[in-house]
Amino acid sequence: MKFIVSSSYLLKQLQILGGVINNNNTLPILDNFLFDLNNDELTVSASDLETTMSAKLNVESDSEGKIAVPAKLLLDTLKTFPEQPLTFVAEDNHTIELSSNHGKYALAYADGEEFPNPVSLEDPSNTVIEGDILSSAISKTIFASGNDDLRPVMSGVFFQFSTEGLTFVATDAHKLVKYSREDVTASQTAEFIMPKKPLNLLKGILAGSESEVLIEYNESNAKFTFDDTTLICRLIDGKYPNYEAVIPKENPNKLTIERNQFLSSVRRVSIFSNKTTHQVRLKIAGAELNISAEDVDYSNKAEERLTCGYQGDDMQIGFNSRFLTEMLNNLNSDEVQLEMSLPNRAGILTPIDGLDPGEKITMLVMPVMLNS
Amino acid sequence: MRMRKIIHIDMDAFYASVEQLDNPELRGKPIAVGGSSQRGVVSAASYEARKFGVRSAMSSVIAKRNCPDLIFVKSRFDRYREISQQIRSIFFEYTDLVEPLSLDEAYLDVTENKMGNPSATMIAREIRAKIKEKTGLNASAGISINKFIAKVASDINKPNGQKTVHPEEVSEFLEQLEIRKFYGVGKVTAEKMYRLGIFTGKDLKSKSEEYLADHFGKHGPYYYNVVRGIHESEVKPNRMRKSLGAERTFSENISSEIFMLEKLTNIAEEIERRLQKSKVAGKTVTLKIKYSDFTLQTRSKTISYYISSKELILELAKELLYQEKMKDSVRLLGISLSNLNTDKPSAKEKEEKKEVVVQLKFDF
Repeated sequence: MKFIVSSSYLLKQLQILGGVINNNNTLPILDNFLFDLNNDELTVSASDLETTMSAKLNVESDSEGKIAVPAKLLLDTLKTFPEQPLTFVAEDNHTIELSSNHGKYALAYADGEEFPNPVSLEDPSNTVIEGDILSSAISKTIFASGNDDLRPVMSGVFFQFSTEGLTFVATDAHKLVKYSREDVTASQTAEFIMPKKPLNLLKGILAGSESEVLIEYNESNAKFTFDDTTLICRLIDGKYPNYEAVIPKENPNKLTIERNQFLSSVRRVSIFSNKTTHQVRLKIAGAELNISAEDVDYSNKAEERLTCGYQGDDMQIGFNSRFLTEMLNNLNSDEVQLEMSLPNRAGILTPIDGLDPGEKITMLVMPVMLNS
Repeated sequence: MRMRKIIHIDMDAFYASVEQLDNPELRGKPIAVGGSSQRGVVSAASYEARKFGVRSAMSSVIAKRNCPDLIFVKSRFDRYREISQQIRSIFFEYTDLVEPLSLDEAYLDVTENKMGNPSATMIAREIRAKIKEKTGLNASAGISINKFIAKVASDINKPNGQKTVHPEEVSEFLEQLEIRKFYGVGKVTAEKMYRLGIFTGKDLKSKSEEYLADHFGKHGPYYYNVVRGIHESEVKPNRMRKSLGAERTFSENISSEIFMLEKLTNIAEEIERRLQKSKVAGKTVTLKIKYSDFTLQTRSKTISYYISSKELILELAKELLYQEKMKDSVRLLGISLSNLNTDKPSAKEKEEKKEVVVQLKFDF
């Protein structure tokens, strides 16, 4: 097999696909890219068994062949080239020869048949969503997902599709984000839990993309197809917690505040908080929000006062400042609302402005309580 | 271990006596402190009233039936507290090892006392005389080698008397003691003991520790020891508060949960006020429900963090209220908060140096 391809075009595609490859694979074949050549169409795949991503590249060729090329070696080489056409020729002695303007390089390849085949999706349902919308649904939610091996369902993002809209949920039991789109709908109701790794890949590739993404899914797998790329992954098995039940329904205390101002205050004050608990305390009375933190071990203390809009009873509530900053950081609005009921109930953070029509974001954070 | 000298001082019909002291026209008459209404309960009865079978905790209606001439007097806890303080100051003239059990009862350890008086019997007599002189009230006393026997002994020559159980008499005293008189043996335990053929201390002493543990669980070893005159519990000055609670008896039995909530709100407010006053917080909320047929039910819940605000106390109380359907209309509701942050942390907790802040989780 033989093909000619632009070096920067190839590098760009391989760098994206390289995100799938794990650093230490138990199966050595997974350290390779699969090159599947069919005349001028080269399909490159990478896999970690759970997730397989493929991209179709246009190359100059009139031959066919299927080989597995060492990913790291190839990427390291390509990174050094300025833009130029490269010629790849597979030799009989299990090496592939790469010719550039500078010289020749031989890489040992493995038989393409050794590379695991991606699963095929049986009876899939499907939905189409714009790339950028999917990307922001992922980036708005994924930070809230957990890392607990004992609760694998919470280590992913819950996709809930219906004819009314799409909902994406992530939680680690301390914080929760629910991202809904009513402007995109599915043909039928479906629910599945996507693992983090493929989502992070999709988030990166699809940011700002106006391409349509076809999502196909069944009980155990999901497939994302867009442009010349497909990503197939295994879903997380299990039942997602009933998140609707933990969203407090009655929240008589409503605070509205400028997001950036709130965020920078929390950031500053949290520097003085206890290093293990990161607790900051919000005290709201009238139209004043008092944010304070204290590290008793070191006698460090900080307190800031902000003007806010407030309806409700005076109250005090403690939060982990890292959760607050993460959440505020993941919103783009100028103003946010924080709804609360009791100091041991979740606070609900929502953006007031800056949403697309049909877009809705609800963030929940559980408070911290004093134990002494 | 060195022999200790413990005195248990118990005021005679304390609340009622204070009322009779302050209102001379009540003297010599049967009186009851407490509400006289249909729903009231006697919190203390004078000796004149006790002759008619009026007892504390008895419903006012029954008390009135037993003793038609009974005079009801409203309680004045501030006044009782004031007199209790005067009495305590007398105790402190003798020893700092004073453990008050309530406003009208206390243990004193006079093994070493400020007067250098070797006779606990003499000290008890002096203290009772001083109480009489200073407050005009009668007190009874029990004197012995541990708190348990002193407590039992103070009842022997009540009212206005005292009883010393000398070390050499301890064994005999306990053997002939009726099982009902053992401190810590209530009605239910006593009946259980009767069924097992235990009527006196002697019967109790004949049982093995294993036998008692089998029948009375963790209290078994306690009974085994006390009947042998072993009760090492020290007189603990400034006894830590273990719980804080409040309750309401309603003028009419209620069955509407809306009314119950309203009452619980009031109770929670009172608890919050008292918690703030003594600067404590607790982790366990207990809801007490007394039904119209006087059966008592308690439901409790323990959380991982300390609470002291009325909102959170009410929140948990509500949860306990709705946990199960009421089986009848309710005459009394109460909330108490225990597992207080004044409890001494156990050695293990100290070692772990528990985190002071708890991150709450969603209830998935």
